[in-house]
Amino acid sequence: MSLRNTAPAIHPLQKIQFVEPHIFDITPTVKLYWMQPVPDETTRIEFHFDAGTIRGNRKIAGFVNSLLLSGTADKTSTQINQELDGLGAYLDQEIAQELAIVSLYCLKENVEKAVAILVNAIQEVAFHEHEISDMLREKKQQFLVSSEKVSVLVRRAFQKQLFSNSENYNRQLELSDLEDVSVLDLKRFHKEFYLQGLRKVIVVGDVEPAYIDRLIDTVGAWSKPGICEFEKDFINIPGRLHIEKKDAVQTAIRMGIPLFNKTHEDFLDFQILQTIFGDYFGSRLMSNIREDKGYTYGIGCGVAESNNAGYFIIATEVGKDVADATLTEIKNEMDLLKVELVPQEELDLVKNYLLGQILKSADGPNAMMDLYMAAHLHGKDFEYYNDAIQHIQNISQERILALANKYLNWDKFTIVTAGTKV
Amino acid sequence: MIQFERFSLENGLKVIFHKDTTTPLAVVNTLYDVGARDEDPEKTGFAHLFEHLMFGGSVNIPDFDAPLQHAGGESNAFTSNDITNYYDVLPAQNIETALWLESDRMLSLGFTPKSLETQRSVVIEEFKQRYLNQPYGDVWLKLRPLAYHTHPYQWATIGKEISHIEDAKMEDVKAFFHKFYNPSNAILCIAGNFELDEVKRLVEKWYGDIPSKMKPARILTAELPQTEFREQIIERNVPSDAFYYAFKMSERKSAEYYITDMLSDALGRDKSSRLYTSIQKEQKLVTEIGAYITGSLDNGLLVISGKLSPDVTFEEVDTAIWKVLSEIQTEKISTKELDRLKNKIKTAKAFQEQGLLNRAMNLAYFELLGDADGVNQEAILYEQIQPEHILANAQDILQKTNCSLLKVKAIQS
Repeated sequence: MSLRNTAPAIHPLQKIQFVEPHIFDITPTVKLYWMQPVPDETTRIEFHFDAGTIRGNRKIAGFVNSLLLSGTADKTSTQINQELDGLGAYLDQEIAQELAIVSLYCLKENVEKAVAILVNAIQEVAFHEHEISDMLREKKQQFLVSSEKVSVLVRRAFQKQLFSNSENYNRQLELSDLEDVSVLDLKRFHKEFYLQGLRKVIVVGDVEPAYIDRLIDTVGAWSKPGICEFEKDFINIPGRLHIEKKDAVQTAIRMGIPLFNKTHEDFLDFQILQTIFGDYFGSRLMSNIREDKGYTYGIGCGVAESNNAGYFIIATEVGKDVADATLTEIKNEMDLLKVELVPQEELDLVKNYLLGQILKSADGPNAMMDLYMAAHLHGKDFEYYNDAIQHIQNISQERILALANKYLNWDKFTIVTAGTKV
Repeated sequence: MIQFERFSLENGLKVIFHKDTTTPLAVVNTLYDVGARDEDPEKTGFAHLFEHLMFGGSVNIPDFDAPLQHAGGESNAFTSNDITNYYDVLPAQNIETALWLESDRMLSLGFTPKSLETQRSVVIEEFKQRYLNQPYGDVWLKLRPLAYHTHPYQWATIGKEISHIEDAKMEDVKAFFHKFYNPSNAILCIAGNFELDEVKRLVEKWYGDIPSKMKPARILTAELPQTEFREQIIERNVPSDAFYYAFKMSERKSAEYYITDMLSDALGRDKSSRLYTSIQKEQKLVTEIGAYITGSLDNGLLVISGKLSPDVTFEEVDTAIWKVLSEIQTEKISTKELDRLKNKIKTAKAFQEQGLLNRAMNLAYFELLGDADGVNQEAILYEQIQPEHILANAQDILQKTNCSLLKVKAIQS
């Protein structure tokens, strides 16, 4: 069985075939991105609005987002839902700090009708009183349920500590926010951040070229005039904070530091470092804290990017008895990367793994579009990923060590735990 | 239409090959015909614990993940009450690495004590994270034994209780492997831009020498027909009262399966469904409600679940739900409503089939059902459903004597 004792030869990554989207100017600052080569009938359309939670007050952005399809003067919310369902369309409304996205998924043959229903619903939303009270009742319920989860409690506190200098970024919804809301405030927000807040349109689907023109005509009036402002310098509160939650069998841990996004010269190399540290199944954190100690079902880290900034985060849920031991091990793993060179074998493995990940993230038109947009957000194009491949192939053990010393400084980290203190 | 080729090896391994010339990736999906339903009632959670051990090194290869990552790939797996499914996604030119790893762990595992010890702890943390440390997290641990009295679906894949996992012994692990992990009990699906001859050669090279074994016979205790309404109330420290109505339905292979799937969509799939529009939107008795099926191979469940609005009683909601259920049993649904349900299913299927991994998993699953081509027949089965089918199925299933109701009463501790 000597065959089985030797690994098959590994063949290096071949060149990735990137496919650029077509780009149309709706206005000089608002664009439509279209990925046409789709080998099936599916169509995905996204509208990106400058209507994230940093706009307006603490609650308003989330409320308006939830109410977008709540009915017009002519149609109830149920009628709108029935019309969209009749076309087999799926809708997704999501909201983040710096944007709100409305996504539509349907078959090509139905896209024009479905978009027309969606656009009319958003344009004419009436903010009926009964819809507002339904929304508040449901949100209150969701808030109470999510407040029972240590993963949610820890996230809320972590954001407060991490974005300490920016009220717009660190504010969290509170139960009292769900008592009532002024219709006038909803209407003002809707007008400013939706009807004049469109920042991007994304189309992935083999639709008729003429339809793209009609789509631009349909939603062009929503375009955001001027430039959007986003925070770029965040100051975190370092050190540990504990949120007590009675009778929790696991403790949730979130720790992190403000960092950077793709525009920073260290970004690509830091990605390699943080992959070694905690961003794949064989990472240092997983090997130690899950596969050796068995403290957790999973632990990971990552870099979250925003328009002008970014942050580094480590996240896990562990048995309540081993929360402190886990933090000690996280620190040990950080320290180790600062004093010992990463073995060449491990570095080679991570290099190949990351190259495979890039290949995977370029597979299929939807993935290709997401990959493009992730670079484009920071003023880059597909050349960025060719750069990334170069960085991965060329990075040295010494460079990893230097970056670990530059960025992984325990004393600068915000550390939040939520659970039952033992 | 998902194209595929099928062949098998002398040792009993069934192989499906799906060619996709557009992707630089390959998928190696291995489905083992073993799930939580095959467990000893005193050693539950074992199929799932075993899935974790499959990553702890095999007879000739000490570490499963590292060589795959080195080849630019990654791997994961899931266990259900019916099956255990492992998958690898990697650059196509390195497919042999995946075949080397998967065939070696089909041949035999490393069975290191350290791996068993660690994965026991990891699975116990998974038990806590998913079932114990979430509001309403343990309802399926309660609902299953209420709905199933004799069939092994009465326990969840994670197991009945943590002690079964704590007590797992190496000899149990080995016995489980020898019984269920062999070529005749597996379906391998390979997807990517390859030629059939090449796939045959590679599969023969890596799997051909694995000794054949008898496919284990499956003799499960059948669930006796339910003849009485069952109800259980549990008290939990949660924000609001919740309910779970579970109705027995057909097995996966029957034609009724698709009708009941559509019936559950009509009742509570989305915001134009009957339960949502009537009970949540118009009567405001709940803050969430939905209906879905478990999709299991043996007789499954159609479940209606939701949470009560403040100051609403279980009785009020119960009356309202049975009224909706009675309507769908007395009057045929309109073709307009039926078309809506069919269109949603068509869209969902088109998006699901975009992913190479999804296609590979589905082919293997339908091969287990009897024919991989079933994946291409499903759309027709849904398309053929008529209002009278839904009516008859609703009358058959949505009976009180076919229902198990779990109520979660919110208490403040």
